Amino acid sequence: MRVCAFDARFPPLSGVFFVFALLASCTAPQTRALRSAAPPLLPSAVELDQSPFFPQEEFQCGPAALATTLNTAGIGATPEELARQVFLPARRGSLQLEMLAAARRHDAIAVMLPPRLDALLAEVANGIPVIVLQNLALDWVPMWHYAVVVGYDRADDEIILRSGRTKRQVMAMPAFERTWKRSRYWAMVTVPPGTIPATVAESDYVHAAVAFEKVASAAAARHAYFAATEKWPHNQLALLGLGNTAFSLQDWQAAETAFTKLVDMSSDPVPALNNLALTLDAQGRLAQAIEVARRAVSIGGPFAAQSRNTLATLVEKARDADNRNR
Amino acid sequence: MSAMNGFWTRSITCVVALSISNVASFPTAHAALISTAQVAQAGAIQDRVAINTVLTRPEIQAELIRRGVSMDEAHQRAAALTDEEARTLSQQLDSLPAGGVDVFGAVLIVFIVLLITDILGFTRIFSFTHPIK
Repeated sequence: MRVCAFDARFPPLSGVFFVFALLASCTAPQTRALRSAAPPLLPSAVELDQSPFFPQEEFQCGPAALATTLNTAGIGATPEELARQVFLPARRGSLQLEMLAAARRHDAIAVMLPPRLDALLAEVANGIPVIVLQNLALDWVPMWHYAVVVGYDRADDEIILRSGRTKRQVMAMPAFERTWKRSRYWAMVTVPPGTIPATVAESDYVHAAVAFEKVASAAAARHAYFAATEKWPHNQLALLGLGNTAFSLQDWQAAETAFTKLVDMSSDPVPALNNLALTLDAQGRLAQAIEVARRAVSIGGPFAAQSRNTLATLVEKARDADNRNR
Repeated sequence: MSAMNGFWTRSITCVVALSISNVASFPTAHAALISTAQVAQAGAIQDRVAINTVLTRPEIQAELIRRGVSMDEAHQRAAALTDEEARTLSQQLDSLPAGGVDVFGAVLIVFIVLLITDILGFTRIFSFTHPIK
């Protein structure tokens, strides 16, 4: 309100200040929306007292934030080892994509939330602390900073964060929103495989699980895919992942069930057929496997080369067996 | 200088590419599962881009090393990325936001900026400033 004092002295500027004042009140649209129409099930105040705090070393807000969310999820990770995994010395900071990747290396599913304040608060209310990227300064002199939202109070319009060297930073919600908005409301959570954050979109979760499968153990990835197929039974990618991880663990029965289900529902069943053929072969059902592989080859498509390889290998195997029997 | 940088980037890329080529996933000549990641990519990505992916990983590893990450750690960091993430990073390693503000530093700079805007008369935060008339 202090800007108002200038109006009398600088009449030409008063219009500019009026615009500024108007902008200031308009730049926290989600906070305003939440005030007028809050989701009915959202508790009015939450604070995750048990979320640990790791005071940030110089420039190391990324590792500190990750350590907070991972340890809350029961995953012991230190800011020091996380710093080696995310900190980029030349940039004096950590990139968002590497924050996601580093969490996966610690056996956590790392996934972005939808860019909404109500989603952020809902996850905190579910006991999941949320890493946010804030720009503490201005668009033209950005100061990017990771902090962890561990609580809020809607009555007082406050957000509670673990931030930098401050264990319990209380920020007015509109001010928080303005700093967060500059990262286009970027927010991520780290959860153990098997936990699906309530607000995360189906395809975001499944793609996070696919990224997780790349670095995690097959058993952990299978856990994530299983949870996804329970929640979204028609997600084909999750079903394929469930079959593939079961295959890696040599649980042929489970793999066969998943692939068979996928063949029936998929518009492009070649991957499911190819992998089903291999699963049947692993169980010694070679003739059946060849039949399935033939079907895959007859369809063609982007995985034609691989399915031809599978068929050729299986046919050769059958010929070898024939020759030995003679 | 940029020519030099290009030279070093290429050199490191070559070394890294050679050192990890044995683990790069080329289509194999025997029967293999079609992976979840392959299918996840198939929808969105054309063959041309898929070919580039093979080159991206050593490249991103070299870029990380150039920015102060140790050789061993760079390898693991590159390996933890999905193909799509690796592509994004290799194109925007220097332009993506890097969260790393020392909060004290931020407060100090904000203080200085506000001090200057105060003195210029655009803001009026501090009682001890005298705006330029």
